[in-house]
Amino acid sequence: MLDFKLASSQQAGQPDTEREGDRVYDLIIIGGGPAGLTAAVYAGRAALRTLLLGGATPGGQIANTDRVENYPGFPEGISGADLAMRFQNQAEHFVTSLANDFVTEVDFSAAPFTIKTHSDTYQGRAVIVATGAFPRRLGAPGEKEYFGRGVSTCATCDGFFYKDRRVVVIGGGDSAIDEGLFLCKFASEVIVIHRRDELRATKALQERAFANPKMRFVWDTMVEGILGQDTVTGVRVRNVKTDETSTIETDGVFVYIGLIPGTRIFAGQLELNEQGYIVTDSHQRTSVPGVFAAGDVQSPDFRQVVIAAGAGAKAVLEADRYLAETASSYA
Amino acid sequence: MPLLNDEIAEQVKEELADLTRSVELVVFTQEFECEYCAETRQLVEEIAALSDQIEAEVYNFVTDAEKAEELGVDKIPAIAVLGEGDYGVRFYGIPAGYEFVSLLHAIKLVAAGEPELSDETLEALAGVSEPVHLQVFVTPTCPYCQHSVMLAHQLAVASPNVRADMVEAQEFPQLAIKYQVMGVPRTVINENVHIEGAVPEPMVVEKLQGALAA
Repeated sequence: MLDFKLASSQQAGQPDTEREGDRVYDLIIIGGGPAGLTAAVYAGRAALRTLLLGGATPGGQIANTDRVENYPGFPEGISGADLAMRFQNQAEHFVTSLANDFVTEVDFSAAPFTIKTHSDTYQGRAVIVATGAFPRRLGAPGEKEYFGRGVSTCATCDGFFYKDRRVVVIGGGDSAIDEGLFLCKFASEVIVIHRRDELRATKALQERAFANPKMRFVWDTMVEGILGQDTVTGVRVRNVKTDETSTIETDGVFVYIGLIPGTRIFAGQLELNEQGYIVTDSHQRTSVPGVFAAGDVQSPDFRQVVIAAGAGAKAVLEADRYLAETASSYA
Repeated sequence: MPLLNDEIAEQVKEELADLTRSVELVVFTQEFECEYCAETRQLVEEIAALSDQIEAEVYNFVTDAEKAEELGVDKIPAIAVLGEGDYGVRFYGIPAGYEFVSLLHAIKLVAAGEPELSDETLEALAGVSEPVHLQVFVTPTCPYCQHSVMLAHQLAVASPNVRADMVEAQEFPQLAIKYQVMGVPRTVINENVHIEGAVPEPMVVEKLQGALAA
């Protein structure tokens, strides 16, 4: 079935430069996932002059999630891509300007805060960081070499190429099992390799996985290397209990072993915790007054669309209060 | 039945409301239409109906071979997006799913005739004097791919020596095999250089220069 998605952060026009000499936005939101897009809606309704720097993936991580069944208001469930598009469309109604640019550098040392992208420099009186999290790489030999030639982190993108072929999925959480089930639509066999002896994924997903005849599980096992010629041919694995090593033949390797926060550019500017997440208080405030953080970038504890969206809303309510207070102190 | 529902059509109309120059969407199909040939033609006709500045032209790949050759079209379904001139902007396979945005982007880009690229990129492209062919392999369910396609089309508009194709991998499995596409986006430059993933503009330019040096 054909569908036509209008979700893109590029089509909503270029940053608003009409007001020469006033390139300072009230609020700059970095990140175009559920937290950033919800923040954009709230910012629009608060009548803040807002720039949304959306990044590469409209909708963030949910855009490549096969199915979202736990977002309220969609009793039948909704595809991640469609939910992302709805977020995006709603945000576009409210935001002042949108740019599909990658942020390369920030300066949070003094307000207004400065944000550099590949092509421009912007200033904002307040900033919300909602850059989310990205798939963690395995770090095993062969992973980088065979990326795009058998190694993938996006089942919805690449599943088609594994029609009637054998794939392995590395991981045992929600993403691993959800995407593994998606791959069962194409692949002849989906082998889930997990380092523990039970899955971390939610019960409902586990039940579907165990009931799927195409899925097989290899427990207590770590992948130590990805083997190939031109493309992937197998993975070298080690059983963590017996220490035995062996090789599993496969055409594809999908890596879902968790996420790392997108905070590299904020190091030295904002307080980060040991795992690299931005430290916030219960009001989404970071270590720098006027800079807020929301969503997966700030908390690995509840990786849920509804939590990220809620945090995005909180961040704007808090930013609005901050802007009102700082404005009156200048008056 | 229209492919674009009322809601989407209305948004597309709005998107295309401020085209300052005319754009020709040239579609190639054939009498016994290939998979998605009919839909590609219909899509282009529906879009053309939403803007006075857009004209749809339909050609038969077999009987209009001369036109196909003129535009360098070697497979169908194909869409050539032409503005004041031919910038080398092409779509092979239907731009559905996330690629629909790439098509709208290409229309606006070609109408404006001016790419939005950094000064460094434009400078690098000014030094390109040999032909460059970018083929960006995509699937319609890939949210990252549109980024690579839009960038490739920008490069094509910026340089008379660069042409850029979106290639929908599922409709051209033989090409996916030929170029060893197992993940998307994968950009093939002049047959000899590959880029995996949606990478930033400076990296694409670097690879493009590398392809010419090779």
